[in-house]
Amino acid sequence: MRKLNVLLSLFVLASLVLTACGGGAPAEPQTVVQTVIVEGTPQVVTAVPPTEEKEAVLRVNTGTYPDVIDPQKSSFVNEIAHLNKVYMGLTTLNGKLETVPGAAESWTFNDDATQLTFTLKPDSVYSDGSVLNAKRFEYAFQRNIDPATAGEYASITDEIVGAPEWRGADTAAEGYDAEAFKAALGVKASHADGSACADYEDTACNTLTLNFSKPAPYFATIAGIWVGYPAKEENIAEGGDIWWTSSKYQIGNGPFIWKSVDPFVKSVFVPNPNYAGEAIPTYRLEFSYITDSAVAFEAYRNNEFDVIGSAAEDLPVIDADADLAAQHVKYAGSCTIKIQYSFFPTWGGKPNPFSDKKVREAFALAFDAEAWTHDVDGDLSLPTWTWIPPGYPGYDTNTPLHFDPEAAKAALAAASEPFNSAEKLNALGLKMAFADSARNRQRHEWIAAQYKEILGVDLALDPVEPTTYTAIQKDPDTYPLLSRGGWCADYADPQNWLSVYWRTGTFADRWGYSNPEFDALVDEADTTIDPAKRAELYSQAQQVLLNDIPGAFGYNSLNHYLVKPWVKGYQTTPQDGTYPGDVTPWTITIDTSMLP
Amino acid sequence: MVTYLIRRLFWLIPVLITVSAVTFIVMRSAPGGPWDTDPERRQVDAATEKSLSAYYGLDKPMWRQFYAYIIGDTNSQTKEYVCGLICGNLGPSYRQRGRTVQDILFSPPEDKTFWQSRFGYSLRLGGMALLMAIMVGIPIGIIAALKQNTIVDYVALFFATSGISVPSFVLAIFLIFIFASRLHLVDIVVDDWTQIKYWFMPMAVLGFGTLAYTARLTRSAMLEVMRQDYVRTARAKGLAERAVVFIHMLKNALIPVITILGPALAGLVTGSFIIETMFSFPGMGRAYVQSIFQRDYSMIMGTTLIYALLVAVANLSVDIIYVFLDPRIRLED
Amino acid sequence: MSVQTASPNKIAVINDVFKPSRSLGQEAWSRLIRNKASVAGMFIVGFFIFLAIFAPVIAPMDPLKLHSGKRFLPPPFDQGATNIKAEPEFLLGTDSLGRDVLSRVIYGARVSMVVGFLPTTIILLMGSTIGMISGYIGGKLDNLLMRLTDVIYAFPDLLFFIIVMVALRDSFIGQFMNGLVLLFAALAIVNWVGVARLIRGQVLSLKQKEFVEAARCIGAKDTRIMFRHILPNSLSPLIVWAAFTIPGLIITEAVLGYLGLGLRPATDSGQFFVTSWGVLMLDGQTAINSQPYLLLAPAICVALVVLAFTFLGDGLRDALDPRMRGTQ
Repeated sequence: MRKLNVLLSLFVLASLVLTACGGGAPAEPQTVVQTVIVEGTPQVVTAVPPTEEKEAVLRVNTGTYPDVIDPQKSSFVNEIAHLNKVYMGLTTLNGKLETVPGAAESWTFNDDATQLTFTLKPDSVYSDGSVLNAKRFEYAFQRNIDPATAGEYASITDEIVGAPEWRGADTAAEGYDAEAFKAALGVKASHADGSACADYEDTACNTLTLNFSKPAPYFATIAGIWVGYPAKEENIAEGGDIWWTSSKYQIGNGPFIWKSVDPFVKSVFVPNPNYAGEAIPTYRLEFSYITDSAVAFEAYRNNEFDVIGSAAEDLPVIDADADLAAQHVKYAGSCTIKIQYSFFPTWGGKPNPFSDKKVREAFALAFDAEAWTHDVDGDLSLPTWTWIPPGYPGYDTNTPLHFDPEAAKAALAAASEPFNSAEKLNALGLKMAFADSARNRQRHEWIAAQYKEILGVDLALDPVEPTTYTAIQKDPDTYPLLSRGGWCADYADPQNWLSVYWRTGTFADRWGYSNPEFDALVDEADTTIDPAKRAELYSQAQQVLLNDIPGAFGYNSLNHYLVKPWVKGYQTTPQDGTYPGDVTPWTITIDTSMLP
Repeated sequence: MVTYLIRRLFWLIPVLITVSAVTFIVMRSAPGGPWDTDPERRQVDAATEKSLSAYYGLDKPMWRQFYAYIIGDTNSQTKEYVCGLICGNLGPSYRQRGRTVQDILFSPPEDKTFWQSRFGYSLRLGGMALLMAIMVGIPIGIIAALKQNTIVDYVALFFATSGISVPSFVLAIFLIFIFASRLHLVDIVVDDWTQIKYWFMPMAVLGFGTLAYTARLTRSAMLEVMRQDYVRTARAKGLAERAVVFIHMLKNALIPVITILGPALAGLVTGSFIIETMFSFPGMGRAYVQSIFQRDYSMIMGTTLIYALLVAVANLSVDIIYVFLDPRIRLED
Repeated sequence: MSVQTASPNKIAVINDVFKPSRSLGQEAWSRLIRNKASVAGMFIVGFFIFLAIFAPVIAPMDPLKLHSGKRFLPPPFDQGATNIKAEPEFLLGTDSLGRDVLSRVIYGARVSMVVGFLPTTIILLMGSTIGMISGYIGGKLDNLLMRLTDVIYAFPDLLFFIIVMVALRDSFIGQFMNGLVLLFAALAIVNWVGVARLIRGQVLSLKQKEFVEAARCIGAKDTRIMFRHILPNSLSPLIVWAAFTIPGLIITEAVLGYLGLGLRPATDSGQFFVTSWGVLMLDGQTAINSQPYLLLAPAICVALVVLAFTFLGDGLRDALDPRMRGTQ
C-alpha cells in the first residue's frame, strides 16, 4: 500500500511539474501593459483598463509553417509571405503589379539592355538603424548563385554574367575556387563614381551594376523578388545554417520588423519605422499556422482571425449568411491550370495518342471549363482558354478553342489511325495521374466523368503519393500521359510565362513539348528592348503555343478570402500570397472602432 | 537486478540497429527523393540536385550511406569526418536544410527552455494524457468491476468505449465545435501554450484511447482478482471492504494495467499528427509524418529510433515497477 | 457464485449439475446470448455485414454518379445552415460533387467489414502458428522468434503503415484490389506479434499440463498435440483478442484515409470496393459546416460497429472464461 502511495504521489508531482514547466513566467494580464508603437519608437504604455483604445492588429492564418525562411533558399508562397514583410528588394511592386523603386531610387539599362545599374535611396538603413548599402545587395545575389546555397530559385538570375558557370560548378572538384567565380560574376557594388566600396558601413556605396550575358530588359523586375533580399552576411555567419530560425538575425529593410516567432504557433511583425517604401504600416501583423480549413473557419467565425483563405467546402455556409457573404472577397489570382498532355511518341510502351494534334484538340474541346469552375470549384476559379491569365501583361483574349462537345467528337473522329474513336482509345487504356489528396480525387473523378460523358473515353485514374508524383514527372519515361498542372507567376512579365515555362530546355522538356518557331519568337522577344515590339513578339509566341494545343487550358486561380469588415484599404493584386493586399501591406488600415 | 538491467540495455543495441536497417530499406524503396518537393512548387534544377546529393552523400552506394548514418563518414565536399548515430548525431534534415534532426526535435526556439522544443511539447502533452488515462481510467475500471453487470457498469463501459469508437480527427472537430465555437470556453487559435486551459482538449483527444483501454483492462483484471482465494481469505478474516479492495485486489489487478501503460507512454509522447494538425499544437508528431511524405530520410530514421528507444525504456521501467507491485517477481538473469 | 445467494440461483446450480454435460462451446454460447449487450452487438455487426454484402441492392443510387448542380444538398429532415434546398430522393443529402451520401455510406460498409475481418484472420493464423512453434519447440528457435517480436514491438506502428503504404502503393501490390491487399499486409505484419506472444504463453503453461503429458505418453505426434490438444485450449483468449482488435483496425483504416493513404478511388461502381468510411469522413471533416451529415453518417456507423465489437468481445470473454462455467 505504501508503495502504491509513493507511486500515486509521484504521478501527482509529475503532473504539477509537467504543467508548471510551461516555461518562464505566466502570461501577463494583457489589459494592464501593452506595447504600442508611437511614431516608430516602441514604448511601453500603461493603459487604463476599461475604455482603452483597442490595438490595431491584423491576424492572418497562413496555413502550413514554412520549411525554410531564408531569402536565397525559400521558394514557396508561405515562405515568401514571411520574407517580403521583413525585406525589400531593389525594386518592388505597386498595387497594379508594376515594378517601382524599392530600396533603389532609380535604375538604368544600357542601350542593348546587357547592363543594369541601380542607385540606392540616400541614407538607406535597416530596421535596426544600421547602414544598408549596395554591398548588401551584391552579397545577396552572390549568395543566390553560390552553389553552396543550392536554392530552388538559383537559376532565376542566370542572365548575370558568370552565374550559370558558378552555379553549375562542382564544389568538390580539385581547384574549385569560389572567390574566382565570385570575382568573375557580373554583380558589382560601387560608389556613384565607379570606385570600389570599402565595406558594409560605407554609406557612399550606393550603386549596384549587373552585367548580363544577353539582353535582359525584364531584369529590373527579377531584381525585386526575394532572391535579392539583403539578409545580413554577418547574421548568417553568426547564426550558422539555422540563422533564419531566429527572429533576431532576420534584420531587414521591409515594411515590418519580425518581433518574435514561436514555430508552428505564431509570428508577430511590428511596423518598421525605418521603412523606405511608400508608407509605414500602422498595425501589428500576426501570422498563425492552422492547416485544417474547418478549424480555421471556426476560428474566423469566432473573431480569432481577421483574414483567412475561404475553402470551397464552406461556400454554401458563406453564401447563406449575409454577413459572411459580404466579407467574402474574390478576385483573379496568379495561376493558370491546365490538363497537360504528354508529347513523347510513346507512353508505357504504347503509341501516344496525344502525339496526334486532333486528339489533343478533341480533349481540349471536350473540357467544359465553365462547368468545372462551377461544379468542382464552386466558382472559386475562372474558366480560361489561353495561357497568360487576366491581370498580367500579355493576357490575350484571342483564343482558338472553346468548349464544344460536338466539335470535340468530330475532332476525335478526324484523328489518325488508331486514335480516331473512343473504342480504339479505350483499347489502348488512357490513364491520368495525380497527386493524391481528398480534393484532387474529387477533381479528377469529375474530369474522368466529363471525358466519359462527352467523348466516351474511359480515363483510368491513378492517384499517386505526392512526392512520388513529383518524381515521376521528372523522368520522361514515367511522365504521365495526362496530368493536371499549372504555373503561377513569379513576377509580372510575359517572359516568366512563356520563356521560363514553354521554351525548349525549360519545364516543357518534362512533357516533351518543343517548337522551334516558338523558341525563336521568345528568344527574340526576351532580348528586345522596345516594349511595344517586345509585347507583340510575346503575343505571337503565345498564339503559336495555343495553336499547338499543348494541353486543355482549364482555369485561372482565384484569390478568395474572408476579410473582417474592420480591415480596410487593401489593394488586391493577383500576386497576393496569404491575404488581400499582401503586396502593398502599408495601404491596409485597421478600423479599431469597429472591433467587437 | 542490476545485471538484468545491464543485459536488457545491451540487448537494445541489436534491436535499434535492426529497426534502423528495416526503416532504411523500406524508406529507400519509396519512389522520389528529398529534393522532390510539392508538385505545385518549383523544383531545384538537375545541377543543384546533383551537388546537393553529393554534399549529403546521397550519391554513394546504399550500404555506405547506412554505414555513414550509423558510424559516420567523411563528407566528400567539405572533407570533414562526420560522426554518425553512435555519437548521438541523428543527421542533417534534407528538407529543413541547415538544421540537424536533433536540433529540430530537441532545441527550443530562441530564449525558450527545453520544454518548449518540439519534443518537450509532445513530452508534456503525452505525460498529461497518460496521467488523465490513469487518473480517470483506473477508477472507472474499479467501479465497473465492483458493480459488475449493473447500470453503473454499463454506463462506465460505454463512456470508456465511446472514446475509442470515433477516430481522433472526428473527436477533435466535435470538441472544437462544442467548447470553442459554442461555449467559448477556450480559443481556437492558441498563441500562448503556457496557459493550462488550452491543453485540455488536445490532452483529452490524445489520451482517450489509452483511458478506454486502461478502464477496460482494470475492470477485467479486477474481476479476475475478485475470485481469487486470497481475496476470499481477506474477506473471511473480517477486513474492511475498503482494505480488501485497495490492498488485496487493486495491487494485483494493476499488474496487467501497468504492462500496457509503458508502451502507451511511448506512443503518447511521440505525439500525434492528427492532434497537432487539428489543434495546431507545436509537437513532434507532425515532423514524424511529414518527413515520410517529404522523403526527409534522416528525419524518418531519427523519429523511428527515438520511438524505438522510448518503447524499450518504457518496457524496462514497467519491469522495474513490477517488482514494487508484486513481491513474487524477481528480475534476475 | 457465493453460497449465501438467494434460493433461485441455488436451484439453477443444482439443475446445471443434473443436466447432461455440454461442450464448452455450447455452454459459452448459452451464456453469451444471455448477455444483452453482446446480443445487441451481434445484431449490429450482422446488420452491417448484410449491408456490405447486399450494398448494390440496398443503396438507392449509384455511389459514384455525379449529380451536376446538386452539391452539398442537405438531408430532407435537416435544412442546416445553408440556403441549398433539400431533395427528397437524397435521404442523407449529397457530397461536394453531388453524390448520394447514403449510398456511399452503404458501400463504405464493405471496406470496413473486410478491413475488420480479413487482416484479423491473417494475423490469427500467422501469430498463432509462430507462437505455437516458438512455445512448443522452445530453445534457440524460441529465443530467435521472441527477439524478432522485440524488434517489431519497437516499431511505431502507424509510422510503419505510412512508410509501407508510401513506399509500395505505386507498385503492383499497392494497386491490387484498390490498395486493400497492401493495407492488410501492413496491418498483419505489425499485429501478429501480440498473438504470437499470447499463444506462446498459453503453450508454455499448457505444455506442463497432465493431458499433454498423457497424449505424449500414448505416442501422439507433436503436430497432433499442438493442433488437437493445445490449440483448442488456447482458443478463448484468441477469440477475445480478435473481438478487441477488429475495432482497432477499422479505426486505423479511417486514420490512414485521413492521411491520404486509404483506399484508391474507384471509377467504376461495378468494382467491389468503391469507397470507405475513412475516405468519407475525410471528405466530411472539411465540409462539416456545409453538410454535417457527410461526417456524421460514417462517424456514427464507425462508432456503432466499434461499440458492437467491443461489447461482443466483453461478452465473449465472460462466456469463455472456464471459471465462469455454470454461472450466469
